[in-house]
Amino acid sequence: MNCDFVLTVCPFCGCGCQLYLEVMDGELMGVLPCKTDEMSEGKPCIKGRNAADFISHPDRLKSPLVKRKGKFELTSWKEALDIVSSQLSKIKEKHGPDSVGVLSSAKCTNEENFLLMKFARAVIGTNNVDHCARLCHASTVVGLVKAFGSGAMTNSVPEIEGTDCIFVIGSNTMEQHPLISLRVLRAKERGAPLIVADPRRTPLVDFADIYLQHRPGTDVALINGLMHVIVRDGLEDKKFIRERTEGFEELEKKIKEYPPEKVSRVTGVDAATLEKAARFYGEAEKASILYAMGITQHTTGTENVLSVANLAMLTGNVGRESTGVNPLRGQNNVQGACDMGALPDVYSGYQRVNDKEARARFEKAWGVGLPQKPGLTVTEMTDAAINGSLKAMYIMGENPALSDPDINHLKKALSSLDFLVVQDIFLSEAAQFAHVVLPACSFAEKEGTFTATDRRVQRVRKAIEPIGDSKPDWIIVSELARRMGGTQFNYTSPGEIMKEIASLTPSYAGISHERLDNGKVLAWPCLSAEHPGTRFLHSNAFTRGRGQFFAIDYKEPAELPDKEYPFLLTTGRLMFQYHTGTMTRRIPALERELPTGFIEINRKDAKKLSISQGERIRVKSRRGEIEIQAFITDGILPGVVFIPFHFAECAANVLTSRNVDPEAKIPEFKVCAVKIYKDDKHG
Amino acid sequence: MEKQKGNGKVGAVLVVGGGIGGIQAALDLAESGYYVYLLEKSPSIGGVMAQLDKTFPTNDCSMCILSPKLVEAGRHLNIQLITNAELEEVSGEEGNFRVKILKKPRYVDIDKCTGCGLCAQSDFSNLKEKEEELWVDRIVVDEASCIQCGECTEACLEENKENHAMTNIALERRKFIELPPEQRGERETETLAQKVALMDEESRNNFWQRELSRCIKCFGCRDACPVWIYDGAELEDPDWIKPGEIPPAVPLFQIIRAYRIANLCVNCGMCEEACPMDIPLRTIHQLMWRQSPESVFEVIPGLDRKTKQKLIKRVKENPMVKVETAR
Repeated sequence: MNCDFVLTVCPFCGCGCQLYLEVMDGELMGVLPCKTDEMSEGKPCIKGRNAADFISHPDRLKSPLVKRKGKFELTSWKEALDIVSSQLSKIKEKHGPDSVGVLSSAKCTNEENFLLMKFARAVIGTNNVDHCARLCHASTVVGLVKAFGSGAMTNSVPEIEGTDCIFVIGSNTMEQHPLISLRVLRAKERGAPLIVADPRRTPLVDFADIYLQHRPGTDVALINGLMHVIVRDGLEDKKFIRERTEGFEELEKKIKEYPPEKVSRVTGVDAATLEKAARFYGEAEKASILYAMGITQHTTGTENVLSVANLAMLTGNVGRESTGVNPLRGQNNVQGACDMGALPDVYSGYQRVNDKEARARFEKAWGVGLPQKPGLTVTEMTDAAINGSLKAMYIMGENPALSDPDINHLKKALSSLDFLVVQDIFLSEAAQFAHVVLPACSFAEKEGTFTATDRRVQRVRKAIEPIGDSKPDWIIVSELARRMGGTQFNYTSPGEIMKEIASLTPSYAGISHERLDNGKVLAWPCLSAEHPGTRFLHSNAFTRGRGQFFAIDYKEPAELPDKEYPFLLTTGRLMFQYHTGTMTRRIPALERELPTGFIEINRKDAKKLSISQGERIRVKSRRGEIEIQAFITDGILPGVVFIPFHFAECAANVLTSRNVDPEAKIPEFKVCAVKIYKDDKHG
Repeated sequence: MEKQKGNGKVGAVLVVGGGIGGIQAALDLAESGYYVYLLEKSPSIGGVMAQLDKTFPTNDCSMCILSPKLVEAGRHLNIQLITNAELEEVSGEEGNFRVKILKKPRYVDIDKCTGCGLCAQSDFSNLKEKEEELWVDRIVVDEASCIQCGECTEACLEENKENHAMTNIALERRKFIELPPEQRGERETETLAQKVALMDEESRNNFWQRELSRCIKCFGCRDACPVWIYDGAELEDPDWIKPGEIPPAVPLFQIIRAYRIANLCVNCGMCEEACPMDIPLRTIHQLMWRQSPESVFEVIPGLDRKTKQKLIKRVKENPMVKVETAR
């Protein structure tokens, strides 16, 4: 009997807790918390504790599948890769490289994301490479780069404990990032006031000193109102504004237009509460902002992020310990996938594709010419597939058929493609549309690195041999690249890929697998082999030099309720499921807690429509319609409803709109108009 | 120990943990000529093995195996026991370590203690099984259970006059708590369990309400528990705890969990260590250490009478864990 404990990283949220996988005679037995891990302190949440349970699930794809006459047939790796390489080459020759779109994955390792990005750019020759960050934090990357010069969490998670005031806006921290909410509660225990702004009453609200329940989509007005009070009462950090920032005059003029009374009318937040919150935040020596999807998933997503950055710079709360603007990234490696350049406009380390010098460096390293026009984003690819300019797609480890807005539209796009390859561990909703499905490995079967939300790079280690005939994603991609004429894809291990990443990416220059052994972590920027990593950014100067203020006006969301569709729908996640549920819905302990979705509706609205608790009702928007059970609560504003998007049988994204932020192209998941009615057949 | 000549290595070994494994390791090492320091967190060595009935594969009673080893470890010339102490820090390298050990107070000078047992008999000692405690030859004040009444010290003073063994810390602490808060100054504060034990019903209720509503239902406290043998389903039964709800029913969820391990709990604190929300779960068990499960409901008020009766009935019908006595 051979027993082993393999240190690796949890595959769920962006906290990035290290865990041990228990392996006995090559079989996975379970998860053991890692007490020396700084992030989790040996206290993983329910998802982390059950992270091993989906890996050996019978539904795992064990060999490649090819669709013939509408049915999937088992096939060999050789045949599957032959079909994929010949089809992709044919489409590339006939319609040009930009007729191919590639979706990378925030669930895969940094090495695999880098490799797929390289495959798309160097082998296919297109910049059409994107991943699900487009749907969660694209506006953060765009917004914070504009304001600070770097689109990542400015401070590290353990620092939150030391802060003097915490402002959480648009984040259900307790359910989505439990280990971060632990730090929030510890800071609160020390006496730091906690301000929570959220249209929906999340569990963290019970601990808040101040709760701002603003209407969905009014974040800019709310933050402008806070800044108005701070400047009016002279609580701004004048020295910081003078020495470290630019553009304050315009902002000052703009926020004059947002007195608390006006903000109160727009947001629905009581003016006195707003003033109190502003004073708490403004008076704190070290204040920290945490935000997530509630800020980013709007047509004004980038502007929301810029407003948050304004607020932090106004009070000098950037570039010091326990302060900062902290976007909480959703996926375990969404930060890494962005860093690795799985985005249409940048290479790894956010080096722009239309920057001549950067392109020349990559061209020299890879020995091929590279396209210079930024490619299509996830949301644009859907439209391009429908209008026929996009012919083929290669999807690695993503399930857009549940996560993207307006699923009916997306399904139409997927079925109108000439050729679709999906590389995944389960036959997801998106994989049903594929012509070829390639079985990949889960996190427990491969080596690599994940980058957590606070830029911490950590090692993922192989615990068991690949299940069935599945292969790690980096092997599949490099084999495919070699078949399609890629010359520099002869890697023997992910460590080698990391060496290439380090040589081409300044912020990862000092990171190597050897330095990450024994559970050590490095937070980028890590500029050389001796560099200890960076705990908080912008300490002496902003990455872009001076911080930039932006004067921003409140704009209404794209689709507001009207007579026909009187309810405002907002979507989100819950504690016991994860995203599209491909993994969590196959974990019994989690599925038992939360087997299906529901719609949260205010008690008054329910009474008006005579809906009773648990009753099945129909929800309809301009794009589609679902049936779902009602959950009546006081935790949500009248006129607003909430649906979690995890569940395929009652998918919230059938209803959501495709309106996107003009800069970041992030869809407005948080606001759309719906109507609710009872179906007599089910009534 | 003296450093051995030449290689700079020390011929002494520190064994951390005085359960059956630690005792056996210490004995084997001591027999082979090492000087052994045997470190134990609780006031006495022995661990939890004594709570087992039979042992695999011989069906021997566990005390038959354990007790000779206890005696041997206690008397072995090469073993030095360090009980009621915890390891804080380890530095150095193989062959030559330096360790920092935190010795917890016993509140009793064991050289002076005559083992009269009067302290344990004092009215407020909060010990349910007073008679059983009388054999104790050297007593320790359990910080978790002590409610600072100071009666034990007074009993000791009365019996032994000049040469009393109980230090007067307990008495001093009682006086300290009786002071109004503003006069307490920078003095040492009580442990959490002591604070909770001294709370009145309403503030205790509020305290548990506040602490337990942090729960995110990760089941970590249950999964990490070494004595959770009950495979029953109250925590996963929708009749008791509604699935998918955060926080799960306060305080019912924690009461059921605590109840299930009431007389098995070894106070190891794993539940608290595993809690991602820093809920002081160990405090519940420290309070339960000396109280019957029924009185736990008084410790954690806020449960309505109906649910309480339902809970007691259910547990008694399902006597996987006996409920008659605590420990």
